[in-house]
Amino acid sequence: MASQTPAVVMDNGTGYSKLGFAGNDSPSFVFPTAIATKAGAGSAAGSAPGRPPVANKPSFLAGGGGGGGASSHLSTKRGTEDLDYFIGDEALAAANGPGYAINYPIRHGQIENWDHMERFWSNSIFKYLRVEPEDHYFLLTEPPLNPPENRENTAEIMFESFNCAGLYIAVQAVLALAASWTSSKVTDRSLTGTVIDSGDGVTHVIPVAEGYVIGSSIKSIPIAGRDITYFVQSLLRDRGEPDSSLKTAEKVKEEYCYVCPDIVKEFARYDREPDRFLKHTVTAPNGRSVSIDVGYERFLAPEIFFNPEIYSSDFLTPLPNVVDGVIQSSPIDVRRGLYKNIVLSGGSTLYKDFGRRLQRDIRHLVDARIRASEARSGGARSGGLDVAVVTHKRQRHGPWFGGSLLGQTPEFRSYCHTKAEYDEIGPSIVRRFALLGGPGSA
Amino acid sequence: MLLLDYHNVLIHSLLTERFSGSTPVSIDQIVSDFDGVTFHLSTPESKTKILISIQVKCFRELVQYGAQQVLEREYGPYIVDPEPGYDFSVLIDLENLPAEQEAKDDLITRLALMKRNAMAAPFERAFDEFAKLSEEASRYTTESAPQGVKEGGEVMAIHYREEEAIYIKASHDRVTVIFSTVFREETDRIFGKVFLQEFVDARRRVLTLQNAPQVLFRNDPPLELAGVPGLQNVNDGTLSYVTFVLFPRHLTPHRRYENISHIQIFRDYFHYHIKASKAYIHTRMRKRTADFLQVLNRARPENEERERKTASGRTFRVQG
Repeated sequence: MASQTPAVVMDNGTGYSKLGFAGNDSPSFVFPTAIATKAGAGSAAGSAPGRPPVANKPSFLAGGGGGGGASSHLSTKRGTEDLDYFIGDEALAAANGPGYAINYPIRHGQIENWDHMERFWSNSIFKYLRVEPEDHYFLLTEPPLNPPENRENTAEIMFESFNCAGLYIAVQAVLALAASWTSSKVTDRSLTGTVIDSGDGVTHVIPVAEGYVIGSSIKSIPIAGRDITYFVQSLLRDRGEPDSSLKTAEKVKEEYCYVCPDIVKEFARYDREPDRFLKHTVTAPNGRSVSIDVGYERFLAPEIFFNPEIYSSDFLTPLPNVVDGVIQSSPIDVRRGLYKNIVLSGGSTLYKDFGRRLQRDIRHLVDARIRASEARSGGARSGGLDVAVVTHKRQRHGPWFGGSLLGQTPEFRSYCHTKAEYDEIGPSIVRRFALLGGPGSA
Repeated sequence: MLLLDYHNVLIHSLLTERFSGSTPVSIDQIVSDFDGVTFHLSTPESKTKILISIQVKCFRELVQYGAQQVLEREYGPYIVDPEPGYDFSVLIDLENLPAEQEAKDDLITRLALMKRNAMAAPFERAFDEFAKLSEEASRYTTESAPQGVKEGGEVMAIHYREEEAIYIKASHDRVTVIFSTVFREETDRIFGKVFLQEFVDARRRVLTLQNAPQVLFRNDPPLELAGVPGLQNVNDGTLSYVTFVLFPRHLTPHRRYENISHIQIFRDYFHYHIKASKAYIHTRMRKRTADFLQVLNRARPENEERERKTASGRTFRVQG
């Protein structure tokens, strides 16, 4: 075949799904992982006007499924109700109107509702990407510590429903590492490093050695994008700004926030240089616009990663300490590699100087420990430890970009499991994948 | 989502965003569409000049049937020399757009329909041929018609996929469109058969569908295709032929446009629905499994033996 069809890369996250074709530098579609189904009316009317439940079903089940949500009713429908749904932004819009209820099939990175996910994929493939799955290879992502059963379920859907030509399921953290290869700072394309993945809901620190996630050392932090937004909002509220909606807070966060090296000095600097206080104009949907002040939250908001006590009272470990702890709990022979390649990924790591601050703080921790052990050893000198945080341009959709990068390599197809192999062996085939982009590949 | 769109959603949304005056950025995207069509959107010269290229597997055949003219009609002033590796390119200069919003929207829609328009050529040609033939035929009776009019035009074949093709043939009283489809998967074949049978049956059953084109479905090449070269006559059930017969009422000028769109998307639509049915069946299977598990979890042995103790600590068994 002269021209190969590009592989489809789909990164379905808790908040957003990133869809596109391998080889592109940005996903073709980014929309919320949401599906709006005709559920609201269905739960009331589902049992009565529809066909009576199948006769041989025990009677207590007919009503018992009522709490199960939309999917339980779908199975009693005989028309085209199963196609009456929207995904992505259209789903959010439809859910505002009557008759549709919104569902999020992915929770905490893992697929919870397979019925919804199957239809979400179906719509992604046919409506948005417009591909015939039989002609394309697919690269999907999964969170670290995804149970193998979930992989099998995914493979069942991809191969049996969609007959896709080939499938590769990669771990998001590993793809994020691959995405960092575009940075000029990265010289060797190794798959060893620590990934700090901070999205909307939760921040994960994931150590990866030679392409394999060190599952026992993963730590997650309950502070992420949404918390920063809430924090900005509370600051705006405290000051009594005319507009302090969540949307405004989000805009302020995305447009003005940055990380400062030292809060105390930064406060002093704001007092000296009043032009650091900014104005932000909010235009309401009705055309009215108000102007709000943007002040200290510019540097205070991202600061909750480094000093969580200013925001939360139950989680108090700063991000640098968590990263250090994660690396220290990893096997000793990979720690050097993990310190040397700390890769950022996800929307909440995009603040200016975030990487620099993180690198400085971790280096302080490491240096302090080295000095302490030098003192204890009585005269031995340490060769020092290299700490480097890699920031790069593709951070926002890191895992997707990594997938796109690896999906366009000529050897990608040989790493996939094909439909024929699946038919031969069964779903358990996807429990193992050869490591894409690992040592030995080009 | 019951129906599939005819246009490419990505091109549509991307151009809508660009045309609305957002800051130009460089684009370099390869986008796929159904039937092995590939688009390449790029900004090779400057950020305000968007080059859209399309690659269609059967472009050579389409050109034979007049695709170039159709595309020239649709995209006239925007056409540039095709980008290497692609079949057809248009260049849109963001600084040189039509002023009115309506004209802009129209341009966006037309560009998003590029695949449809490229594939429309043989259909348009067949429809024109039909018009000509029917006019000629009206001058003759059935018996006296000369050979060319009675037989109709030649069969146009479009090998739009590797193993599948569309055949179009115009006659004086109808246009016949034949799809050959291949099912690699056994399950799909069964689903496909049910679906296609339903096309035939539904037309008979539902009165409102009487005006729809006639759909025939068979496993061996229909008679219309007799003598078409390169037709495999393997009868292992994988290859089947779906014939649409478009009657004059479908070919009126104001219906033409829509009908071409409808019929082009047929294969993808068909496959989409096979997959959607499978998803639906999976939903039911999951539900049933969950129900059975619920039953199992509630089940208890009927005569459970329980151990009882007396005050002094001796145990004895009770039935039931």
